[in-house]
Amino acid sequence: MTVLGLRQLNSLADLERIRAELLSRRDPSTKSVHVCTGPGCAAKGSPKLYELFCEAAKQAGSEVQVQAKAVGCHGLCECGPIVLVQPGNIFYQRVEEPDVAEIFRETVLGGRVVKRLLYENPATGEKAETADKIPFYKLQKRIALAYNGLIDPTKITDYIAQGGYRGLGKVLSSMTSEEVISEVELAGLRGRGGGGFPTARKWRSCREADGSPKYVICNGDEGDPGAFMDRAIMEGNPHSIIEGMLIGAYAIGSEQGYIYVRNEYPLSVERLKEAIEQAKELGLLGENILGSSFFFDIRINRGGGAFVCGESTALMASLEGRPGEPRAKYVHTVESGFRGRPSNLNNVETWANVPHIINGGGQWFAGIGTEKSKGTKVFSLVGNVVNTGLVEVPMGITLRRMIDEIGGGIQDGKRFKAVQTGGPSGGCIPTEHLDTRVDFDELTKLGSMMGSGGMIVMDEDTCMVKVAKYFTNFLQKESCGKCTPCREGLSQMLYILDRITDGEGQVGDIERLEDLSEILEGTALCALGKTAANPVISTIRYFRDEYDAHILDRRCPAKECRGLFRYEIDPEACKACGICLKNCPADAITGEKKVPHVIDQKKCTLCGTCWEKCPFTAVLKV
Amino acid sequence: MAQEDNLIEQIVKRYDGDTGMLIPMMQDLQSECGYLPIEHLRYLGGRLKVPISRLYAVATFYSSFRLAPKGAHEVTLCMGTVCFLKGAPSISEAVCREFRVEPGGTTRDRLFTFQAVNCVGACAVAPVMIVDGKYYDGVTPASALEVLHGLAADKAAAEKEGEI
Amino acid sequence: MYALRNMLGKMSLHRSVKGIRKGKPVPIVTIDGCKVRVKKDATVLDAAKKAGIWIPTLCYHPAISPDAVCRLCMVELDRGDWRQLITACNYPVRRDIVVYVSSEGAKQARRGVMELLLARAPESQELKALAERMGVKETRYPNVTESQRNCILCGLCVRICEEIIGQAAIGFAGRGVDRAVAAPFRQPSDDCIGCGACAAVCPVGTIKVRIHQDQQEVEISPFKSRSKLLVCEKCGAPIISTQVSERVLGKVETMSSEEFRQCIRLCPKCRKLQTAVRLQAATVYKKE
Repeated sequence: MTVLGLRQLNSLADLERIRAELLSRRDPSTKSVHVCTGPGCAAKGSPKLYELFCEAAKQAGSEVQVQAKAVGCHGLCECGPIVLVQPGNIFYQRVEEPDVAEIFRETVLGGRVVKRLLYENPATGEKAETADKIPFYKLQKRIALAYNGLIDPTKITDYIAQGGYRGLGKVLSSMTSEEVISEVELAGLRGRGGGGFPTARKWRSCREADGSPKYVICNGDEGDPGAFMDRAIMEGNPHSIIEGMLIGAYAIGSEQGYIYVRNEYPLSVERLKEAIEQAKELGLLGENILGSSFFFDIRINRGGGAFVCGESTALMASLEGRPGEPRAKYVHTVESGFRGRPSNLNNVETWANVPHIINGGGQWFAGIGTEKSKGTKVFSLVGNVVNTGLVEVPMGITLRRMIDEIGGGIQDGKRFKAVQTGGPSGGCIPTEHLDTRVDFDELTKLGSMMGSGGMIVMDEDTCMVKVAKYFTNFLQKESCGKCTPCREGLSQMLYILDRITDGEGQVGDIERLEDLSEILEGTALCALGKTAANPVISTIRYFRDEYDAHILDRRCPAKECRGLFRYEIDPEACKACGICLKNCPADAITGEKKVPHVIDQKKCTLCGTCWEKCPFTAVLKV
Repeated sequence: MAQEDNLIEQIVKRYDGDTGMLIPMMQDLQSECGYLPIEHLRYLGGRLKVPISRLYAVATFYSSFRLAPKGAHEVTLCMGTVCFLKGAPSISEAVCREFRVEPGGTTRDRLFTFQAVNCVGACAVAPVMIVDGKYYDGVTPASALEVLHGLAADKAAAEKEGEI
Repeated sequence: MYALRNMLGKMSLHRSVKGIRKGKPVPIVTIDGCKVRVKKDATVLDAAKKAGIWIPTLCYHPAISPDAVCRLCMVELDRGDWRQLITACNYPVRRDIVVYVSSEGAKQARRGVMELLLARAPESQELKALAERMGVKETRYPNVTESQRNCILCGLCVRICEEIIGQAAIGFAGRGVDRAVAAPFRQPSDDCIGCGACAAVCPVGTIKVRIHQDQQEVEISPFKSRSKLLVCEKCGAPIISTQVSERVLGKVETMSSEEFRQCIRLCPKCRKLQTAVRLQAATVYKKE
């Protein structure tokens, strides 16, 4: 391919020349429509919208300059599909196929706003024309997600025009590897995958380790249920990862990189492959990058379907064509990792931050966030919140602001109960700690962790014991099974939790769970096992009363565990329609016309059919 | 040396024979064949000089790999409390006996994969059987067998018309 | 020559007594108060052995690389203001460290692991004996996972077959609670040579070598792998699997293959008898 007549970029000057050329060719009068094709919007059919906009643009003829762009995840997935119109940054949400023509006619050609497609603040009723007027976006500061929504991820020219590879150019032309590491150190960047380890320290250790070749690896195995931050970056801005890895490889002295993508993300693999191809063609990967003596290549490897492969040693085993079993880390992977060589592994989001740190400077980055947690973090805010989606905020924001201001509060007017953070290695945080500032260390003090950024909001109708069981079950299924405490311990915990939710809890069960969690924490081989008891322990810590109710009273206060609550018909609401009676598989309901029906608790099998079928919501969970 | 296996040779070439790419290689094999046939795996092991025990370990460790072909149809029988009370076990027995399949397994002729699950949430119409996403309610051993025999008949008819 | 060697020997003795080797100190491990010196990158378990302190192990074997999967050899490492639980069998000693084997924390950790193992494999006598020696009389946990004949997944069989014998006839299959040791595809393995090393290292008696006299085969149970046996020409007792004998033949340098084959025509008992007869005959000759 040639970009503006250039086959390869042989110097920093070439890169800057192309960038200037691309920018100068951008006609400010050209209108563009950016259709989000990130995971959330794509699931709602946005690729088709993109096609329709492309058609419309073509048909508009040559007098009007319109381009349609398919862009990466913008974040407010709840309101997808999202379409942005430039100029003006007009933000349309919940766009459907019939809306395309109207948007094109009114906004693109006519410069008028289609009010009904604008975001409406549910609290004030106000309409927001642009994203920055939407509370969800107001508090955000986008670094890792900066280009998402602005560029077409399948075009390297978009990335370059936006400022991409400038950081690489700066590094190769004017910085030594030690200077690069110092800059990242000054920035205070810590691993974004959950470990929070200081990135510069890792790079330096790898650089100083004995042995070669050295490897630079990107962990794209995002396995926490409810997390899709890395996916948004891999699919929405793959070049940011490539640039980050190039800079890191230069600093460490590596010539070979790997990106490990989980099996369930085929589109991420495709986008990354494309991006690597394009970078190679332009000479940004391979030999003599930008005319320097630096050589670097990247290969993509896919996972086979195993959550444990997010753990660094398991990932490296998988990269070697083995089962993803973790191993002891008494000798760190920076000394002996992939193929026994010094290997530096960082998460997708960590890599994506690196070019910005080089461009903006470490000091700038360190000015954002808290004392020990610098910069921003991308969170996946999901569950019972009004606004679900991806959010990037400076570290230090409180949970309350995240949930209320950005998340828009709890759905359906219900009450907040807990927020689960950090995925299966994390825990649940209750109301009394909502003013905690979110960063690497504060949440850990509460028995949870920030982890990779998953934030699952739960309302008052959630049974916390069931939540604990869900995560324990997940981990038991995903455990590699190598070490005794994780394999046996999780099975023992699950056995107890099953008994509790089945109404067969015994006095002493909580203590048994606590004993098992101590064994796991102290003796498990890897981080999966060591943190596996967190969901159980944090729910025991903050929701002990629920456990007690299950065990001592055989009652589920949230009325989720079947058998631990009753169904009763509210005589005032019952219209005696007889639907419940007809459908009851146990013939437990009696009643005649105009007489409120009654459930015979002795016959009731607690299947919930009546509750489902009643058109007057007269069946109550008690 | 086993007879040359063209499919495997293609796959190995695609990844320059790099044993680190074993998982993508096996994924390509599975895309091609629908599952991981033993003979192809043995050849791959020989070709890469990796013991077959390692390929088996990899094939059984990762969730995405299948060592047996899935059936053309997916049959799920609910074993939740109400379905259980309403006779699901006898339906399961009948299906297993008639088609010589175990819960979790696939029939010999790969007509269907049979799974028992815990409560699909349709208790009002128990017992429930789901075939390729279609719900059948109030199922009895006899009606279940009828539905499944119908699948076999469909397949035969389609084959006759040369669709397969 | 002897003088030179002696002098060099004295020098290295001198150096190791002083704890200095080429200027680099040999690390000292203080284990339950006892100070021992070990080579750099030796393990805490090596140090414990030197100090005469017993640490229970299951998945450790001196001939095989440690994997630390059983988690039984937990000990506490002094980190100043806190103690870290580590596995002794594979923790490399690189500088002076302080380790506690008999502390409450370490004992509790080991007890917890053993109780989980006993719950998994309630019928292994070897496991019960080890537990007794550790002072663990019973487990508080019910049996909730299935083990194949008490297999505790220590992996010694897998590792010895792969690393030492070089056949990799068995391996791990599945994941999590479904993890098991198996021959590929759960069929008898063609790579098994019937040496029985796996049975020899199994700490809980799961793997057994079975001789099938009539078929002249040795079977490794439960993998069902079979190999042909060489049997004694005289009494028919099994001697060794033919494949193993070929293996050994390939490594023997002090006799020709013909001599070797002669050697293994008789079982040890019969060979002794034969030798005795020959010796008697020889003495008879000598007398004359």
